Amino acid sequence: MAPILELQDFHYYYGNIHTVKGINMTVNEGEMVTIIGANGAGKTTTLQSISGLKDGKGIRGKIIYDGKEIQGLSGHKVAARGLCQVLEGRHVFSKLTVEENLMTGAYLRKDAKNVKSDMQDIFRRFPRLEERRNQLAGTLSGGEQQMLAIGRALINRPKLMLLDEPSLGLAPVIVKEVFKAIREINKDGMTILFVEQNSKIALNTANRGYVMQVGEVAMEGYCKDLLVNEEVKKAYLGG
Amino acid sequence: MKMFTQLIILGLALGSVYSLIAMGYSLIYKASGLMTFVQGDILTVGAFLGLTFYRFLKLPYIISVLLTMLVTFAIGFLLEKGVIRKLLNKNVMAIYIVLATIAVSYIFQNGAQAIWSSKVEYFPTVFSVDSISILGVGVQPESLLCVGASLVCMVVLHIFMTRTRIGTSMRAAAMDPMAAESCGINVSLNTGITWGISSGIAAIAGIFIGPMYGVYVTLGSKIGGKGFAGAVMGGYGNMYGAMVGGLILGLVETLVAGYISSDFKNMFAYIILIVFLFVKPTGIFNEQAIQDV
Repeated sequence: MAPILELQDFHYYYGNIHTVKGINMTVNEGEMVTIIGANGAGKTTTLQSISGLKDGKGIRGKIIYDGKEIQGLSGHKVAARGLCQVLEGRHVFSKLTVEENLMTGAYLRKDAKNVKSDMQDIFRRFPRLEERRNQLAGTLSGGEQQMLAIGRALINRPKLMLLDEPSLGLAPVIVKEVFKAIREINKDGMTILFVEQNSKIALNTANRGYVMQVGEVAMEGYCKDLLVNEEVKKAYLGG
Repeated sequence: MKMFTQLIILGLALGSVYSLIAMGYSLIYKASGLMTFVQGDILTVGAFLGLTFYRFLKLPYIISVLLTMLVTFAIGFLLEKGVIRKLLNKNVMAIYIVLATIAVSYIFQNGAQAIWSSKVEYFPTVFSVDSISILGVGVQPESLLCVGASLVCMVVLHIFMTRTRIGTSMRAAAMDPMAAESCGINVSLNTGITWGISSGIAAIAGIFIGPMYGVYVTLGSKIGGKGFAGAVMGGYGNMYGAMVGGLILGLVETLVAGYISSDFKNMFAYIILIVFLFVKPTGIFNEQAIQDV
């Protein structure tokens, strides 16, 4: 499997504050990789730097996506290359309808016909979105908003999808449902990198994982190994 | 009754000009989260440009209007890229950017005076008749043009914002810039376009009002203040609120001037603003400009 994304000695600085301190990471095509770790470990900073949503001036090191360096590129340009992020906290356009949200996700698509059929695919995946297609996104439940946020990224037909804390603020039943959908999307061929504080569900979902601690990668490996690792168990899986 | 009809028509004409300015304030607020004080002086520049194209260069009226829009669109776009964006990138506090817009507004005002004149210039009439009769009242046809054209502008803008791909993307970018960027929308370009459109609308307002009030250097700052008040009354940041707020203000002002005294019209307009701020700070359209930005 060829790597689609590589971080080489990646650092991030907020002014003088060194938040990510030289990490290396690889995501191979077709894989599902997770980054776990406590609050403030630098997970979101890493993800947003990849997708061009962080100020590029703070980045040191290389972010290589699809064979090209993309560090410092602005977000819309990264999205145009097929790297789409589902943001932490969902960030749906609250005063646009479900359908308008999806159409906005398809902003870069030039093939209007296929967009329609892709939207149908997304509705098949998330039937509740179809029921609410003309409803304002702000009136959806948290779980439905997360599905919409995922659908909005999917409709751009990305090659790599990043998800930031997909479980945030959702009830346990809904979390299961969302992760089931993520698993299916990966099974259908999408490469996925996600950040998650719920380490248990993260390690049970992904193939490989990175454990971040205060700006560094403390551990990495296959999820099945991390799940039985004593340190990981103690620190992240509640003993 | 005749007087009332006349005042209503005049009020609508004036109000629709306020509405155009107010829409610009609201669009910019939505897109950038900023207040700008340049709108009024763009109106002045627009009026002078219209005057130049129409009276001095003798171009057809419609061509003059379009050229003015084009030039002022560019001014607005470049203002955002050259001043506002530069300051935003330096992470300065919003208040300093607002102050910068005040500085720019004086530069425009003074520039207009230097380029054109400090006199009141007359804007030639558009139609060959001086007055047409509506419900038995003689009305200057230019004031009807003003109402009609403003309505057209509003409808076109509404369709643009809700029915076109770029309009929807502009609304999305205003709602949530980060999410819009992640959808592949060039938010910075969008913001520039919003400033351009707002300038273009302000300039049209200047051309429309020219034949009624004449064109002079401080024309825009007067109307700009009222437009701002209209935007606040409608719900700052809401395009439709701006339209309604501007119309209400124009009507109130004209009625006060007609039935009480024109000495009080400005005072009344701003008293209404204060009342609105106390009673309904979110404006007629309930825009949450105050708590959750």
